[in-house]
Amino acid sequence: MPKPILRIENLHKKFRDTEVLKGLSLTVYEGEVVVIIGPSGTGKSTLLRCINRLTEPDSGDIYLEEQKIEPGKSNFSQIRQQIGMVFQDFNLFNHLTAVQNVAIGPIKVKKMDKKKAYDLAMKELERVGMAEKAGNYPAELSGGQKQRVAIARALAMDPKIMLFDEPTSALDPELIGEVLEVMKDLANAGMTMMVVSHEMGFAREAADRIVFLEDGVVAEEGSPEKIFNNPERERTREFISKIARLNSGGDDRGLNNK
Amino acid sequence: MGINFAANKVLASIPYLLGGVWITLQITVLALALSTVLGLLLSLLRVYGKGIFHRFSLIYSRLMRSLPLLVILFMLYFLGSEIIDIPAYWAIVLALAFHSAAYQSEIFRGAIQSISKGQMEAALALGMSKYQGIFSVILPQALRRAIPYWANEATIVLKDSSLAYALGVTELMRRGEYVSARTSQPMLTYIIVGLIYLILTYAFTKSMNRIEYKVRIPGLER
Amino acid sequence: MMEHIEYFIYIWPDLFKGLIVSLQLSVGALLLGLAIGLPMALMRTYGRGLVKTLAVMYIELIRGTPMIVQLFLIYYGLPDMGILLDRLPAAIIALGINSSAYQAEYFRGAILSIDEGQGLAAQALGMTKQQAIVNIILPQALRLVLPPWSNEVIYMVKYTSVAFLIAVPELMARGKMLISKTFKPLETLFWVGVIYVIVLSIIAKIVDMVERKLAIPGFQMSREDY
Repeated sequence: MPKPILRIENLHKKFRDTEVLKGLSLTVYEGEVVVIIGPSGTGKSTLLRCINRLTEPDSGDIYLEEQKIEPGKSNFSQIRQQIGMVFQDFNLFNHLTAVQNVAIGPIKVKKMDKKKAYDLAMKELERVGMAEKAGNYPAELSGGQKQRVAIARALAMDPKIMLFDEPTSALDPELIGEVLEVMKDLANAGMTMMVVSHEMGFAREAADRIVFLEDGVVAEEGSPEKIFNNPERERTREFISKIARLNSGGDDRGLNNK
Repeated sequence: MGINFAANKVLASIPYLLGGVWITLQITVLALALSTVLGLLLSLLRVYGKGIFHRFSLIYSRLMRSLPLLVILFMLYFLGSEIIDIPAYWAIVLALAFHSAAYQSEIFRGAIQSISKGQMEAALALGMSKYQGIFSVILPQALRRAIPYWANEATIVLKDSSLAYALGVTELMRRGEYVSARTSQPMLTYIIVGLIYLILTYAFTKSMNRIEYKVRIPGLER
Repeated sequence: MMEHIEYFIYIWPDLFKGLIVSLQLSVGALLLGLAIGLPMALMRTYGRGLVKTLAVMYIELIRGTPMIVQLFLIYYGLPDMGILLDRLPAAIIALGINSSAYQAEYFRGAILSIDEGQGLAAQALGMTKQQAIVNIILPQALRLVLPPWSNEVIYMVKYTSVAFLIAVPELMARGKMLISKTFKPLETLFWVGVIYVIVLSIIAKIVDMVERKLAIPGFQMSREDY
């Protein structure tokens, strides 16, 4: 039986009058890659942001391994460090070079020795194929390169799980492949991942489980095989075919060119 | 002949005027140091502070920006003579500092708010505290953006330091008045005084441009 | 408490006279500043050679020196050249010249922020450059200039207090006179300050209303920004 890394129980979140999450429960196991799909406005991003408390949920509990995630508790920062997050619009620190972006977390948060932190940062940049651009500022990088640095930044904290919030949706089509490639490598290396994305090619190839979110709860989940080819619910089928049409042919961009 | 003689007397007073420059610069630098610290603090209270802290910063800024510097100056001066002893020199330093801090707090606030929200979120997601996020991520970017606006405000402080004249502090302007009275050459004297101020503001603006250029980072231009 | 109110009632007539002078100074200076500032902005933006150089020199000279130096040059300096001015006109001229340089820069900033395509489109319609400036660029720029211009209004009302240094009987000067009469400096200054704060908030409200009235969609420029 695989070990649960992240356990979400009965999560509720309201914005003004709209209830976005309506008692959502989900468990992610060690080494698992979970891809979350669903119509816009169903709380996919909110779910991720509630996990590391960038958004405060109204009720419900979230556990990282056996520790409950609670802001205000003394170990909150430590828990947050163990949850890597990759944002849709990268959010690289604009005043820092690529290598500084990756090193700042270990230096400031883990109080790591600077030399060690930069060595680590270079290693992580190499891992995402960005070592040559280590000295460049974010403004000098393409969107795809920025996102790869952002992934390295999260990896440098040695997280137990990585959250990806639509990591490719702000990218020009020709730059999506390089980011998905890095994510696939991570998945193959056994990283536990939760990915909000409509990149069907990635989902098909890398996901262990697809979670279809609708109306603030998990409407259907299962292997990619089942969700794509044999969904139980009509709504899921409709949604999948809509996405497939939107992606038309481009659904495995960059993945079949190696 | 008489005029030439008087004009020579004005020119002979230039070293005396330059002595006033030294005091003008002292007042300006002290006032700027104080107002920058205070202005930054107020801007942080305004953006990140809650409840009473936020309100205090807001009211301070509104109030100070609607009081003429001279009113603040005389208040401090008389407060000094009535309660605690503030010499005229410190009255002008403090008045400039309190007044400019309000404008600087708006400059810094604007710069902080121009940094996208995602920057702080990314810092928090790495496990940084809000405090670390402000000092390691937000301020290094916001302060760079604020430089040209801060530099402009600093030249205003330099120029406003001439109001110390009203309290009889012997900075450049007051010395100019003495020279003008002694030589009966106000036109020439005040032209020279004006030129000295012009050189000071010009030199300051140029050096701030250099600093702005030196610390620039691609993507963080104004 | 009562005695403070009584004191205020006692000094109010004098302060009110001062306030009227302050407002006269402000209006005079702002109008003069507008009359000089707008042509200076056009000269600096569209002028060539000597015209441009003169405008640049004028603007930078004024902006690089303290207002009090300009005031003293005009009030104490000009008589050297046979030009004698009364206190009030001297103050209005000095404040107006000072304001003109800042207003010129606000206008220039607004003109420069108008998309180049606007002028090109006007010329493509067959307008001359002058026609394009007057009919297309300026109407847009004048709206854009409102927020910084309202800041200038508030600045100017505050800075009229400098006229006290040549004994123009404006609000600040009235306050000082009362202080030497009543020996109540802090109380007097407190009420002077209160009047400035109230008058400036009323002016700010009025300017806000004017701005909103003249607003065109897609043409907002926030005054709070910087």
